[in-house]
Amino acid sequence: MRVLLFGTCLVDTFFPEAGEATVRLLRRFGADPVFPRGQTCCGQPAFNAGYEAQARAAAEHFLWEFDGDAPIVTPSGSCAAMVKHHYPWLFRDDPKRLAQAKRAGERIHELTQFLVHVAKAHEAGLRGRGTVTYHSSCHLTRSLGVREEPLTLLSSLKGGTFVPMPDAARCCGFGGTFMAKLPEISCALADEKAASIEATGADTVTGCDSGCLMNIADAMRRRGTKIRVAHIAQLLAEGL
Amino acid sequence: MSGADRERLFLENAAKAAAGTCSVRGTGDLPDALGRIVAMDSPVYCPGVTELEKAAAPLFPVRAADYADAAVTVEEVFGAIAETGTIVCVSAGGRAVQAGLLPAHHVAIVRRERIFGTLDDLFAAVSGAPPTNITLVTGPSRTADIELTLAIGVHGPEKLDIILV
Amino acid sequence: MSPEQTSLAFRENSVRALEDAALRAAMKQAADTFGTKRADAFAPVADLEALRDRASDIREEVLANLTMYVDRFVASATHAGAVVHRANDAAAARELIRKILADRGARRIVKGKSMVSEEVDLNSHLEAAGMEVVETDLGEYIIQMEGETPSHIIVPAIHKNRRQVGKLFADRLGVPYSDDPQVLTKIARKALREKFLTADAGISGANFAAADTGSLVLLTNEGNGRMVTTVPPLHVAILSIEKMLPSLTDLPAFLRLLPRSATGQTITSYVSVITGPRKAGDATGAKELHIVLLDNGRTEINAGESRGILKCIRCGACMNVCPVYRTVGGHAYGWTYPGPMGMILTTLLTGMAKSHPLVDASTVCGACVEVCPVRVPLVDLILELRRRKVREGFSDPKEKRGMALFGKAAASPLLFALGQRLAGLLWPVVRSMGGKDVAGRMPAPAKTPLRRKLP
Repeated sequence: MRVLLFGTCLVDTFFPEAGEATVRLLRRFGADPVFPRGQTCCGQPAFNAGYEAQARAAAEHFLWEFDGDAPIVTPSGSCAAMVKHHYPWLFRDDPKRLAQAKRAGERIHELTQFLVHVAKAHEAGLRGRGTVTYHSSCHLTRSLGVREEPLTLLSSLKGGTFVPMPDAARCCGFGGTFMAKLPEISCALADEKAASIEATGADTVTGCDSGCLMNIADAMRRRGTKIRVAHIAQLLAEGL
Repeated sequence: MSGADRERLFLENAAKAAAGTCSVRGTGDLPDALGRIVAMDSPVYCPGVTELEKAAAPLFPVRAADYADAAVTVEEVFGAIAETGTIVCVSAGGRAVQAGLLPAHHVAIVRRERIFGTLDDLFAAVSGAPPTNITLVTGPSRTADIELTLAIGVHGPEKLDIILV
Repeated sequence: MSPEQTSLAFRENSVRALEDAALRAAMKQAADTFGTKRADAFAPVADLEALRDRASDIREEVLANLTMYVDRFVASATHAGAVVHRANDAAAARELIRKILADRGARRIVKGKSMVSEEVDLNSHLEAAGMEVVETDLGEYIIQMEGETPSHIIVPAIHKNRRQVGKLFADRLGVPYSDDPQVLTKIARKALREKFLTADAGISGANFAAADTGSLVLLTNEGNGRMVTTVPPLHVAILSIEKMLPSLTDLPAFLRLLPRSATGQTITSYVSVITGPRKAGDATGAKELHIVLLDNGRTEINAGESRGILKCIRCGACMNVCPVYRTVGGHAYGWTYPGPMGMILTTLLTGMAKSHPLVDASTVCGACVEVCPVRVPLVDLILELRRRKVREGFSDPKEKRGMALFGKAAASPLLFALGQRLAGLLWPVVRSMGGKDVAGRMPAPAKTPLRRKLP
């Protein structure tokens, strides 16, 4: 099955290892991942900050690069939510692109959605190690409604332990441009999230969104905590 | 919902809201119940207008002429709501609703056939031509304004007792 | 005390709040308590989503026909004997109320909690006219004594701990110090009883107004709302026009949602339905009832893209779950209404020029949308205000330039790839140039980005 991989600008630029892990996972489960070379960004940073024109420019390019019928898979809940929920609004006055946008919204899967519902990866006997806890990113949880899939995957890992985090779905303080505009509050929220993670006794924290993980890793660094922060794609790929 | 169910639900919910509750079979049992509930509280204000109030009033030796001077008000109220454990006080018929507000102890007598099942039932009954004041009372007065810690008894009564007749 | 709006200083206010250990502790405790209480209160509710839909539909119906419902209310309330006034703005409302009170020689006024009265800054106007205005809601009583403004729309003194209140009462009331909330509450009961009984007038707000019967509805717990509206001979109620409900029979849906959303209670201790003043044969009610309906920009908001905020029923659930509000408290927002509904309403009522930093005071996490009982589209409203902020020219010029560049790079793979390489090369420079708040919290760009690793 041919799938189009949307890496996301954060993964592409800062966390390519999560992208590579995504590719390995997709291949293992019978998907043939194609990475459209000209992809850039879904437009979320501009959209969330109120820059409609720039968001639309990014979205137009996305629709062009990801045109077609193949499923789109992305290791990011917030990017999948952007395409699904906000692209139709961005193209409300453009009937041709509106149709494309709606189609893209139907075709796009966040990675764990694809792995559980299409690839049945939770039945594949993947291996795990150490103690892992999970941060449930805001857009993934509330916009996309992905609550169970990551937990299904993590608890299916043979060997290794999963321990839930208190207030797993509480915002970590990333919020895209929020972290730049109100860094003090962002850090305070990240610190609280880090404290929740530390309280679990886990040696690894994972999640489905790189922005959150980056913010959490920064809090860990400031606190001198040695917990590993890794995208769920990496953890699962390591268990192949 | 049957009358018995409504009564049971009402008593359960009223108790959850920290109201004292008591159910008597008939007017004959009122004196005992009132004696226990009012106990040493004095002076007592009782309007003495309804049949039940007329039965209750003579039980109290020291009566206040005005509810503003009373330690406890004993009165019959308009009705009750099972859904929330609420008693309903209305101003119709020259009732002084604040008689149940000012004293520290409010004893409300309500006839069991006046228990409405739900909030909708109550509002359907009174919305046609509402009196000047309808007050839904659920439990004693309370606040959580200091550290979200519950404190019972603020400006309204510190104690609410309900007697079902 | 006339509080000046400090929303433009939101970031500075937040930084100060973050350093206030007592405030942080109080807010953390509050957040944990609210979470548990709300969850427990809604657990037994059979079909919460249907209830929310119904409440949302009723509110939408009102806003779609707001003028009609307001007119209908005016007619019904007048028929019931109330005198109804329409105040176009804050100044009109303040002066209207002052005149009603002054004409009757009212000197001592007891007041129930009313956020709208804070919005129009009523107290200082009345005090300047020589009147004594006594806040009787315990939380408002505390902050009035302290000379502060409310920091939450339901629990105004949420930012204070029991020791602070104990010290305040001991200092101002001359009572022995106690930090037991039960004891402090009894002190307030005693201190305020005399005020209720000797007041010339009572001022209240209203949670709802029924257009068909002309009734005001007040949800309270302490009994002060009941005192204020029935004991003094004159009752003045002030409420904003969007508080309308079509009919008194619409009330139950909101009685099931508001107390649970606000404090985790099944229902408030008291629900008062007031229809007109005392009439012949009555022994309850103020002799005179004046109702002031405040517009203050709401008709205009209702005609625009942000009208959804007018559905708000002031339960406070959104701020209770908001990660930003929970961390910095209400005063940081700089005006009457804080948290998610507050950042939106403040910006709309006071204008972008005075409020624009507030529209950024959100991570758009969506926690508020999850809990709003009437489905106010809070995140969509915030994003709409951000677009307006950009259009009206209130964004940071550096950000504007950055976004312009972003737009170009996102549309051009070549430019994007170039940008990636430059970012990688220049990262140490970016970081040292004071990007420590942002770049300092991000890892350096990967040597080989994903697009060059994959075939």
